[in-house]
Amino acid sequence: MKNYWLKWWQTIKVTWVKHTAYRLNFFLQIIGPGLVFFFIKYQLWSSIYRGDQQTIIGGFTLDQMIQYHVWGFLVALIAQANGSWNLSEDIRMGRISSYLIYPFQFHEYHTASFVSFQFIQLFIATFTLALIVLTQLAFLPSLYYLIQGTLFTLFISLFWFLLQYLVGILAFWLEETWIIRVIISIVSYFLSGAIIPLDLYPKWLTHILDYTPFPYLTYYPIQIFMERPVPVFQGYFVITLWMLITIFFINFVWKRGIKMYTAAGM
Amino acid sequence: MNSLIKSASHYFSVYKNFVSTSTQVQASFRTSFILLIFMDLFFYISSLASVSFIFDHVETIGPWGREQLMFYISYMLVIDAIHMMMFSHNFWQLSLYIRKGDLDFILLKPLSSIFSCFFRHFRTPALITFPVALFLLIYYGIAVDISAIDWMLMPLYLTLSITLIILIEFILSTAMFWMVEGTGINFLRMQMQQLARWPNFVFSDYIRKFLTTIIPVLLVGSAPVQFIYNKSRFELLIVMIVALIVLTKVLNTLWKVALNNYESASS
Repeated sequence: MKNYWLKWWQTIKVTWVKHTAYRLNFFLQIIGPGLVFFFIKYQLWSSIYRGDQQTIIGGFTLDQMIQYHVWGFLVALIAQANGSWNLSEDIRMGRISSYLIYPFQFHEYHTASFVSFQFIQLFIATFTLALIVLTQLAFLPSLYYLIQGTLFTLFISLFWFLLQYLVGILAFWLEETWIIRVIISIVSYFLSGAIIPLDLYPKWLTHILDYTPFPYLTYYPIQIFMERPVPVFQGYFVITLWMLITIFFINFVWKRGIKMYTAAGM
Repeated sequence: MNSLIKSASHYFSVYKNFVSTSTQVQASFRTSFILLIFMDLFFYISSLASVSFIFDHVETIGPWGREQLMFYISYMLVIDAIHMMMFSHNFWQLSLYIRKGDLDFILLKPLSSIFSCFFRHFRTPALITFPVALFLLIYYGIAVDISAIDWMLMPLYLTLSITLIILIEFILSTAMFWMVEGTGINFLRMQMQQLARWPNFVFSDYIRKFLTTIIPVLLVGSAPVQFIYNKSRFELLIVMIVALIVLTKVLNTLWKVALNNYESASS
């Protein structure tokens, strides 16, 4: 048993080193896009409100809108940035053959990599949060909401990982899985409230969204951090349900895919 | 003059072959072909709908109303569609060429290396989504009552805009020659597109000046569209033309330095 966990620990360490080897590249690829996305939204909303603190749009004052996007940036950092993009390449280039022989399975390797990545992201998020609080862009919520928000966001990150994993193993059939990943990110950015708060959406659309996992991916975690009332347990329930569905499809796709895998280059 | 025409016709015939081979390759991956179309369509919907939802709550953003901003967004969607079709894939390939040493083969060809690197791959699915973006531009162009002269000048405006954004991106991409892993540069390049997707008045004074003069990414859409709305706003178009000349010079110089720095990985 000790040996088994040692494999996990070693994989986490190796992935940490891999991710931090090219630091500039890591910054540009993982943190940069979120930072620019936040910067644009900050500029856009400041321009819309024209600096007027009294104006209320969709239930948000300028300060609250900026805080919404600050927390949105942090939620994206922790939940959506996981790096399983080389998973499909492992399949396409025949590299998963090694995992079929090793006493450490393919999904275990990628889960350990995900855990390692999350450690890095949590570290960066904590540092970013400290900067944000120091510059007074957002206020720190009470410890209760901070812990609750972080736990819920980490839970969301697990769902994102599973979704990315499912898309990645579609490489058994597809030449380019990045397209599906981009489609998912465009749709989820739009429908999860990452671009603008869901409060600004038409009512008919938010009613439909209530039956999907999208609001739980960005909007609800932000609401928790902003100390607004949120059905947290319903959130855990809905995401758990979607995780189970995703795991079912991962098993299904893996079993079908591995049967037709030809181990290119062997 | 004769040699210039001869050279242009030679490059055009090479480009036709690039398009033809790219189309053949992509036609063999039909699912990816269809998914790329959906990807663009989802992007168009989310871009327009987000702005529309904001306008359900406010009258104006800066000096512009709903139709004016929607026209701007549509203009940028056309730029994006052309970019996707002609250039996007090439940037991702460049980092691989450099890392794997495949650039050697490109340098051996009797063609400009910039042309071979950035025009080699053509994304055919964008041919399907391009008319959608064009339709949106025409629809919102009619809504804001664009003059006949501006419609006639539209191909010129679009050419200036796409040339400016790709020049900025070409220059950024030269950094890949100095980096072991060039993927990050591609993400930085995409952030330039993100910034250009919003009109310049959205940004505060210092940032607007910086992104108009030092990295003139805000000129891509704002210069032509502001001129379309108000003919007295021609100064941005002049800055844009100056930026195009300066950036071409910078690219040529940087590209030479980058090639000198290139250490072939395969030989």
